[in-house]
Amino acid sequence: MANSYLTTESKKLATWYFTFAAIIFGAQLLFGLVAATQYVIPGFLFEIVDFSVARMIHINALVVWMVFAMIGSVYWLLPDETGIETVGIGLGKLLFWVFAAAIVVVVLVYLLVQVGPADETSLWLIHEGREYIEAPRWADIGIVVVVLGFIYNLYATGMKGNRSGIVTVLMADMLAFAGIYLAGMGYTDNISIDQFWWWWVIHLWVEATWEVFVGSIAAYGLITMIGAHRKVVEMWLWIEVAMLFGSGILGMGHHYFWIGTPEYWWEIGALFSALEPLPLVAMFIHVLYDWGKMQGEESAKGQDVSVIANKPAFTWFVLNAIGNFLGAGVWGFFHTFPQVNLYTHGTQFTSAHGHLAFFGAYGTLLIGMFYLAVQGKNGIKVMNATKKSIWGTSMIFGGVLGMTAALTLSGYVDVLVSRAQMGATWSGYFEGQASMWFMQGMDWRLIMGVVTFLGFFVLVADLLSIGKATHHKR
Amino acid sequence: MFEPFVDVVPSFFGWLNQGPLTLTIFLHTVIVLPMFWIYKQEKARLEQES
Amino acid sequence: MAKKSVWSDNRFWQRSAAWVTGFASMLLIWLTFDTIPQITMGTNADLQNGVTKRVPGPTVINYKITYEMDKKRGHEIPVIGEKEMFFGRDDWSEEEAAELLHLGKLGSQVKNCMNCHTLLGNGAYYAPDLTKAWLDPAWGPEGSMQAMTGKSTKEEAMSEFLQNPSQYPTHARMMPDLGITAEEAKGLVAFLKHMSSIDTNGFPRNFGKIQGAVHGK
Repeated sequence: MANSYLTTESKKLATWYFTFAAIIFGAQLLFGLVAATQYVIPGFLFEIVDFSVARMIHINALVVWMVFAMIGSVYWLLPDETGIETVGIGLGKLLFWVFAAAIVVVVLVYLLVQVGPADETSLWLIHEGREYIEAPRWADIGIVVVVLGFIYNLYATGMKGNRSGIVTVLMADMLAFAGIYLAGMGYTDNISIDQFWWWWVIHLWVEATWEVFVGSIAAYGLITMIGAHRKVVEMWLWIEVAMLFGSGILGMGHHYFWIGTPEYWWEIGALFSALEPLPLVAMFIHVLYDWGKMQGEESAKGQDVSVIANKPAFTWFVLNAIGNFLGAGVWGFFHTFPQVNLYTHGTQFTSAHGHLAFFGAYGTLLIGMFYLAVQGKNGIKVMNATKKSIWGTSMIFGGVLGMTAALTLSGYVDVLVSRAQMGATWSGYFEGQASMWFMQGMDWRLIMGVVTFLGFFVLVADLLSIGKATHHKR
Repeated sequence: MFEPFVDVVPSFFGWLNQGPLTLTIFLHTVIVLPMFWIYKQEKARLEQES
Repeated sequence: MAKKSVWSDNRFWQRSAAWVTGFASMLLIWLTFDTIPQITMGTNADLQNGVTKRVPGPTVINYKITYEMDKKRGHEIPVIGEKEMFFGRDDWSEEEAAELLHLGKLGSQVKNCMNCHTLLGNGAYYAPDLTKAWLDPAWGPEGSMQAMTGKSTKEEAMSEFLQNPSQYPTHARMMPDLGITAEEAKGLVAFLKHMSSIDTNGFPRNFGKIQGAVHGK
């Protein structure tokens, strides 16, 4: 890093995390394309890289790149927020290499070994076969150790330096984020209890702790990119925490409708999770309102310049506000009531929601952080968009929106034909899969997946070259 | 108004689940009510400070 | 001087956030303590005495399972009936049945079922839901699977299919060969039979009841 303008080790470490995250993001898209192709051409890579393998890598890469980028984001903002260099940075660097190496080994085993005999050894060494948290047990333990190291650094830095509201929220949130992972490490023969704890990890991550993380990062972004007032931003952050955790924690009930758990979860899940979109609306308003307010203050001074210090990053932050509200909020609300969910549960409808929610709520924001890091590394005061950033952003966001629309249509067929009309049997399932609307939806999903994948290369090219462009204010 | 218990195992939460939304409205209420108390405390504090 | 409003005061929101988060977490933990005993597996004695459990014990494989509308609860529930042969026996002991289920549950994870199928509705959507697969008419005496695999019972047909899935293509989208042994297949079928006996509050609705007329068929 010869030409780096970065003055803190914490930010340098953050760029490592971001780089590795971007690579894994590429792997996620690649294996997503393999799986999408198999819907259209069923024989594609049959018994070489089967759908189960491609999909496992697709969703595990998703979790891993986001966790890497999240850790990177925290290392990036810590020096700014606390005013000191991060404590234990040597440990942080060591853990980065341990984590990255472990991930590479895990993915290679997924790809080359794929399945083993039905015994405990396979769970320890190959994978655990539980969606999203398939990582074998040795890696589970490794992940816990690595994340504990990260939490130590965060706490030590937060307690030594200036502990802002954002850092306080992150400290509480990251501890919960790590602690919840433990709930998903056990094994039981009882599949109801298995899925009960499995949702503790998945739900309390993506509908509680990760969302609060997004709130914190959005708050940091508004302060650094458009100079929003800290007091206002942090008040919003506390309101968001109250609403996110208030609705999200018991909103878990919407996963306990049909897994053997008691009927009272219908009510708890329905109303608490129906309120989950509220904080997402609040975040959306908050981002746009602050932007308008700061620009208005600037205009009142007779200045005709934008208040945005990093155009591509801010674009991604605004897309996050929209994507989070649409994908997690609206698409989630569609099927959160038990009377609807009885038919939509386990259909392509869920998949449509999953794609837009993960990307809209987390992918967008983390890509925004990549751009913030590029700006910092190149010592740019005001970073403008390039043609590549506009193309990359449009292709990726448009591609994911397109996939979501296509999957939603396929989902309708799944729900109406396979579930409502045919009663969910084997033949009912394939009747739905064979319908023209379903198949066209899958064709469009693949096309839009390709658009997203191409957009990824434009994004990477832009991240590597935008720092050298000459139209920035340095 | 009160409905017979239908779930497999009787339990406190199952019993609160009497009819449309009784359980969830009860839980929402016990979560939100104490915020009035926090509000009053903070109001008193702000008045004292000014 | 204008009075400051509590609504724009950071401390008010900070304390509210702490309260709401803490209390919701406590409620979730309490609910967990209420739910876990309700979904803990029953015993062989429960089955013999006709005690209804949300998740019956492993020896449920000795009994006939059906999925019937319950008037009181307003949806279908699994009903455990009289004894039924499972791989030629209806006297699987508690230990034997538990061992078989253990093998099957392990197998369901190691063979990565969940990344194509859904189990209790959770997983991937590339292949049919397995929640009530045991009760699927396709595997029954009038279904096509017994004839296709050349077996005369449901469990043997399922076991044969699981061992050689790509020999019995039912659709262009085939199940790959996952190296499932005869013993593992037996475990997996026990796992499927046990899963079909779990009370899922009526999910999936109308399973196996509708012969259906789609595009005029």
